[in-house]
Amino acid sequence: MMQSTLRKVLDKAALWSRINSPWLVHFNSGSCNGCDIEILATLAPRYDLERFGVKLQGSPRHADVLICTGPVTRLARERLLRTYEQMPVPKFVIAVGSCSITGGAFHGCYNIVGDIGDVIPVDVYVPGCPPRPEAIIDGVVQLLTKLKGAVPARARTAETPFGGAE
Amino acid sequence: MSGESAFSGIQDGVGPWISSSRAPADNRLDMDTSAEHLVGAVTAFNALKWGYLSAITGFDSGTAAPSDGHIEVLYHFCRGPSVATFRVKLPREDPSVPSIGPLVPSAVMYERELSETMGVNVAGLPGRKRQFLSDDWPEKVYPLRKDFTMESAAATHAEAPTVGGEDEPGTFIIPIGPQHPALKEPGHFELAVDGEIVTHANIRLGYVHRGIEKGAEDRSWVHNIYLMERICGICSHIHATAYVLGVESLAGVAVPPRAQAVRTIFCELERIHSHLLWLGVAAHQAGFDTLFMYSWRDRETVMDLLEELSGNRVNYSVNLLGGVKYDIVGKAADSIRRGLDFLERRLKRYLKIVTTDESFLRRTRGVGTITFDEANRLGTIGPTARASGVSRDLRVEAPYMAYRDFPVVPVLDSRCDLEARFVVRINELFESCRLTREILNRMPAGELSVPAPRKVPEGEVISRVEAPRGELFYYIRSTGGAKPDRVKVRTPSLCNWAAVLSVAVGHKLADIPMIMVGIDPCFSCNDRSITLRRRGAPGGVPGALEQWSWEDLRQYGIKYYAGGGR
Amino acid sequence: MNVVLALIALVLFPGGLFVILGSLAFEYADRKLIARFQNRVGPRWFQPLADLVKLLVKEEIVPTGVNRGLFNGLPVAALAASLTAALYVPMAGLAPAWGFRGDLVVTVYLLMMMTLCIGLAGANTLDRFSLIGSTRALTQLFSYEAPFLLALLGPSIAAGTWRISEVNGYARENVWMIVTQPLGFVVALIGLMGKLELPPFDAPEAETEIVSGALTEYSGRGLAFFRLGRDVELLVGLTLISAFYLGGLANPLHFILKTLALLFVTAGLQSLFARLRIDQTVGLWWRAGAVLALVQLLLLIVLKLLGVRL
Repeated sequence: MMQSTLRKVLDKAALWSRINSPWLVHFNSGSCNGCDIEILATLAPRYDLERFGVKLQGSPRHADVLICTGPVTRLARERLLRTYEQMPVPKFVIAVGSCSITGGAFHGCYNIVGDIGDVIPVDVYVPGCPPRPEAIIDGVVQLLTKLKGAVPARARTAETPFGGAE
Repeated sequence: MSGESAFSGIQDGVGPWISSSRAPADNRLDMDTSAEHLVGAVTAFNALKWGYLSAITGFDSGTAAPSDGHIEVLYHFCRGPSVATFRVKLPREDPSVPSIGPLVPSAVMYERELSETMGVNVAGLPGRKRQFLSDDWPEKVYPLRKDFTMESAAATHAEAPTVGGEDEPGTFIIPIGPQHPALKEPGHFELAVDGEIVTHANIRLGYVHRGIEKGAEDRSWVHNIYLMERICGICSHIHATAYVLGVESLAGVAVPPRAQAVRTIFCELERIHSHLLWLGVAAHQAGFDTLFMYSWRDRETVMDLLEELSGNRVNYSVNLLGGVKYDIVGKAADSIRRGLDFLERRLKRYLKIVTTDESFLRRTRGVGTITFDEANRLGTIGPTARASGVSRDLRVEAPYMAYRDFPVVPVLDSRCDLEARFVVRINELFESCRLTREILNRMPAGELSVPAPRKVPEGEVISRVEAPRGELFYYIRSTGGAKPDRVKVRTPSLCNWAAVLSVAVGHKLADIPMIMVGIDPCFSCNDRSITLRRRGAPGGVPGALEQWSWEDLRQYGIKYYAGGGR
Repeated sequence: MNVVLALIALVLFPGGLFVILGSLAFEYADRKLIARFQNRVGPRWFQPLADLVKLLVKEEIVPTGVNRGLFNGLPVAALAASLTAALYVPMAGLAPAWGFRGDLVVTVYLLMMMTLCIGLAGANTLDRFSLIGSTRALTQLFSYEAPFLLALLGPSIAAGTWRISEVNGYARENVWMIVTQPLGFVVALIGLMGKLELPPFDAPEAETEIVSGALTEYSGRGLAFFRLGRDVELLVGLTLISAFYLGGLANPLHFILKTLALLFVTAGLQSLFARLRIDQTVGLWWRAGAVLALVQLLLLIVLKLLGVRL
């Protein structure tokens, strides 16, 4: 009895901390940079995402949220997977820009996958070409809100796609 | 300079190697040659010292049936507004040309693209197997061919499993580390170092290769404006502009002067935002984050202006085929003037910083020098060339749009080093501010657009404009339909990589980030990984391959210079 | 001191929990001040706590090839050292929980543990900087740790004792030593900032890749402990410096006012000094400043020997 209440309290604390301290790592999977510029603008003093506890990290190993742009070109695909795998659980993904949803303007082009969700599980899509910084902030807030409502889905890391652990 | 006198001397010089020639436009000379005579023609042409190689285009004149048509390769040499093109017709089965890399160093990049996407066998092409297409792209499948299908492009090894989502307790141990043997990361930049000095540099592109040129063949002429805009989010307008100028020329549409003026103002505003962005990024590369913050904050002024004029901060979508969508009047014009005043004050400060700050100068003065002759030989363009004294600026040499009535004063610098590249770009912005004001003060009256046909008459056109990074080259071919037959885009950064790779050799590893950022490569290129092959370095196993991220290299440079630059 | 009181002092107050919460509060104040200096809104009051909890419940990825014991143990050692150091300083303006003759030296040594642990953590990895890493940790010790100690020795010599509580007492009785030993004060403050890698002193002449290199290997608990250890060191360091140079800490009010004043200064240095000239000038200044501090120290010793009352 005590154990399960303790468990509940700990889970709540854990959830609270994840909602309030989402650290980002950014990845460009082949976009035109329009979204990336707006993401940088979001983190700059004008919009100040630190208010939400967001910090931009250089290494995926320090991040909770992967903020990802681009239609996933073939070369970028493996790097995207590997970046995602390097993130410790629990981890979440925000896909920014129309081309990360359907390929956007590049729909049908031969070298792209199109939907980031086809490569890694995506939690929030932010449409726009590019979306304004306010829209990106809204996407981050939506992710945090989504976390409040449900137990966060933790992604299981797959075996390395190159086969053979070392 | 009339078309005829611009090309005089060429015919005599290369006569023996060409079979026929014609002038499809005032500023163009097309010369037909063959694969056997190509090297001879280019050698003779080089001896004339007429111009530089701007692009190599390949197109497939056939249809889905493999036996139709032929492959044609065009070698475009430019001098000011004039374009001299060597044309080689090749059979579709086994098209083959010799490489002109030994004669023209910058050709190698274009030839590689040609061989990978069009399937032309370029004999004697040095370097790695794949540049633009991924390593798992199947052999003998060429996306720009007319008989290409998506099914044939399936990856040659089993698809990597995607990651699913599940609840799992506990911790996972994931093996990571730079010596991970299965890490087949294609290093974007490959550098060989001996101690601290770089002995060899190579580049791997392809991360942002989306297949746009092929996609353009599937979209209507108007639809393509939106596609071309998104080649690059930083210089989206200039791409769309180059495209519509070309198509309008093909379609014989005369764009009203007011529309041209509006386009030009947007081009200059874009130049301002692009250079400020670059200034911040370059400062960040050197570790001066304050300058990064300041310049990006000031850049917001331009973003606000662009938003006020067009409704969007990025991808302003100004162009129509035949004109523009938006006008610049009254309140908007005043905002622009106020914004420009503010920016000019800020620019004066930045100029002072980049020319007098000691720690900044230690990383830029005398570093990354590309001499005047080297710049010419390597086909450098844009501010990088102008910082080496090479006066290449299409707005000056081949004025288009409103630049005819509102001339640009070229900004040159003779010092040839990184510092010069900073100074040139900032001074160019002063020029942009002045020019924009002038156009605003004397805006031509009139309509904003004229109708354009849905189908564009048959023909070829070459459209060249001055993007913030340098010359942007578009080749557009129409077979009379509602969609283009071929759109070839040669971005300015591609031209300058040869210069960078060449100048990198002999420099310290710590200088490489600044040298690379000095040509203002497309921002996304800064996100790449680096493969380092060391020889005789402290703490490094000789000959072993190290994988660095761009951030590692950037930090390496910063710490190197903070530590006293030993 | 009987066992119960001792345990309370160790775990709850003025050690343990109090120190941890206090250092989180200080981290908040630091980040908020910097944000305001940069014209931003800044974080919420509970942000450092949220960051800490988040990291504690996050998965820890252990790189292959490292010594597991060292990998898991070093962050704990670093944090434990910082927390122990807190027991010897006049935390909250009260008398230190423990003290003995020479505890100043022990405390400074404990504060040095963090750097050593981070250095070892970096050397523990298969990272490309592994061999160079350990040497760099040592170089950083010379750049900042040694001058920091020297700067704390100044007041200690003036007070004629090696015991922190006695130096604190001396400082309360006499003219503030920031006035009589200004150079020492500056060296101490900057030494502390350098130890903690606070900008603009995070890139002195020695390259500090080892520090950041080490931290990038950690992702969950280990990172949480290192970060918390750094926060605790900031609190302990500021307490020491304000006790020694700002006229001693007699009561909680003194503690709050003086340490927060120092925090204001460090936050200001972090944000307002972020101009372009810093890299070069810091290096040069530091060499000069540390030497001058040493000179001042020698002067003090000489004066003391000559019987001059300070």
